[in-house]
Amino acid sequence: MNSLRVRLTVSLMAVLILALGTLSIVVDQVVWHALVRQLDAQLADDASAVAGMAEDEGATVEFEYESLPDFERAQRPAYFQAWLDDGQVLARSPSLQGRDLPRPAPRGAAPAFSTLTLPDGRPGRAAGLRQPLRIEEDGPGTARPSGRYVTVAVAQGTENVRASLGAVRRWLALWVGITLVAAALAVVVSVSRGLRAARDVAARVGEIDAARPRPFLPAGRLPDELAPLVDKVNELLARIEESFARERRFTADVSHELRTPLAALRAMIEVALRRTRQPDEYATAIGEMGDVVGQMQTLCENLLALARLDAGAVPVRPEPVALRLLVDDCWRSFQGLADERGLRFANQLDPGDTVTTDRDHLRIIVSNLLSNAASYTAGGGWIVVRSGATSLLQVDDSGPGIPAEILPHVFDRFVRGDGARSAGVHCGIGLALVRALGESLRLAVSAENTREGGVSFQVRAADAVTGSAS
Amino acid sequence: MRVLLVEDYQPLARALAQGLREAGYAVDVTGDGRQGLALAHANGYDALVLDVMVPGVDGLAILRQVRAAGSSAGVVIITARDQVPDRIAGLDLGADDYLVKPFALDELLARLRAVIRRRYQSTTTVVALGDLVIDSAARVVRRAGKPVTLSAREFALLEYLALRRGQIVTRAEIWGHVYDFAAEPSSNVVDVYVGYLRRKLGDGEAGGHRLIRTHRGLGYSLEVEGTE
Repeated sequence: MNSLRVRLTVSLMAVLILALGTLSIVVDQVVWHALVRQLDAQLADDASAVAGMAEDEGATVEFEYESLPDFERAQRPAYFQAWLDDGQVLARSPSLQGRDLPRPAPRGAAPAFSTLTLPDGRPGRAAGLRQPLRIEEDGPGTARPSGRYVTVAVAQGTENVRASLGAVRRWLALWVGITLVAAALAVVVSVSRGLRAARDVAARVGEIDAARPRPFLPAGRLPDELAPLVDKVNELLARIEESFARERRFTADVSHELRTPLAALRAMIEVALRRTRQPDEYATAIGEMGDVVGQMQTLCENLLALARLDAGAVPVRPEPVALRLLVDDCWRSFQGLADERGLRFANQLDPGDTVTTDRDHLRIIVSNLLSNAASYTAGGGWIVVRSGATSLLQVDDSGPGIPAEILPHVFDRFVRGDGARSAGVHCGIGLALVRALGESLRLAVSAENTREGGVSFQVRAADAVTGSAS
Repeated sequence: MRVLLVEDYQPLARALAQGLREAGYAVDVTGDGRQGLALAHANGYDALVLDVMVPGVDGLAILRQVRAAGSSAGVVIITARDQVPDRIAGLDLGADDYLVKPFALDELLARLRAVIRRRYQSTTTVVALGDLVIDSAARVVRRAGKPVTLSAREFALLEYLALRRGQIVTRAEIWGHVYDFAAEPSSNVVDVYVGYLRRKLGDGEAGGHRLIRTHRGLGYSLEVEGTE
């Protein structure tokens, strides 16, 4: 059974039963002994009194029985019997009706006590006393020991003791029972109350919409033991909320990135169809539409690559890659754009430079860096690819530089907000993909503004980077 | 009607500019917010078409500054952001309309007509002056029930005169609202087009009213005799 309530109740009951049981036994014994001692004291007194009824007359020993009701009544009587040392029975209580009590053999003057079965079959207690007889030779007040002894046994039923003990036991049992029931109820109630808070929390957690987790779990009026759990759940919810918000922003950004070229396509098509045109006008329009579709395709491919990287589903296949050749190969796609914008390009990598890495991933990294440079370098500037003191390769350009407030965010997905775009840097998804791909290849990609006012994108082995230089 | 288009995505800007020009608007295009703001301050545009996210100064900032300067130009915001707060921000700043990309060119044209009409306190797309009927939605002109075929620029000229009917419109105003920077400035190009327009409308011919009146040294006005 894995119920906290049952386990708590059972263990508390076990401890309580053990403790109360032990206590009851101790109390029972103490009370029993006290009652028996009391009875014994009474028996001893009675024995002494009975012994006092024997008188040595010199020639004979007389027993002057003074009527004692205890020894005469028909119901549950007490008994006594007195003997002389020679075994002669000196006296019997009327209740004995001729029967005998066992003759005690006390040592010394102290009374001896024993448990016995009374002549009428009741359980009983007996006190035995051997006492010297005294003789009065010269009248009353001049008694002296006569040298003879009388032995007295006094017996009485123990039913009163048992009745008293029974009453004590009943009270004990009642008290133990009430305590156990009360304790069990208290445990069940307090545990239930504590667990109700847990159930409430569970119900609240169950109702939470992961996409919109607010309001979080209330922290008030919770048992201390549950508070850390609720705190942790709230922290988790905050992380989930943040992650969903990021996801929503990302989706909004993707839709934004796709809406603009889509708007262009639609406008182009609608303008082209508005009237009958010359074939070359159609050709120009279709060519422009092709460019837009190409951009959308690149965006989609980058998004897909990024999503796969996020999912960890992209295998890395290292092989020796000749860097200079790879850069030349990648540049071909941007030659046209660069020519259009009057940009000069130089590949200063050593023809012998090779690196062992995944060729396709590195190609995407280099292509995106070159695309970025070809798009954002001011017209008439230059782009140079070279290897640096610490970098595997770097793409430098003549600027303009990246505004300081944008620089830390150029590798974010969709550098967003009007601020970013206002500053003329619109990174979309390409540089985010560059960074993610770099991470998969254990390469760090960083961006910095050069002293000459240009921008330098650097690719280096991840362990060669100190701090986050981006 | 003269329109400023501020849109930084070149393929979209080119297509929209062509569509607007072919619909008879004089269009100035820029992809840079700062330049857009300067143009808006320098010229009395009838309407501005502003993309929200443009480099330099964003579309909403242009709108704010243009409105602060007291311009009553109709403003249509175009944006890829379709969240309600974005729309509210644009409309609160005094945009007349709001279009989410991608949109139909016809819708942009219809909204432009609406914001320009509003600017000239006109509630209908059809203007009737005597026997002259100008339908700027259908881009049809009729004189005495017969359709008149006009070029885009002639139509724009007539439309502008009609929106300000009864008022004297200067040559500079006509130049400012009917021609864009692509047109060669010329001292008498306005007079030449007014001449074309009069001829096509049969204006001043025997038996007809003279609708377009010349005010020497001032400009032109479009009015029906006896009504103004």
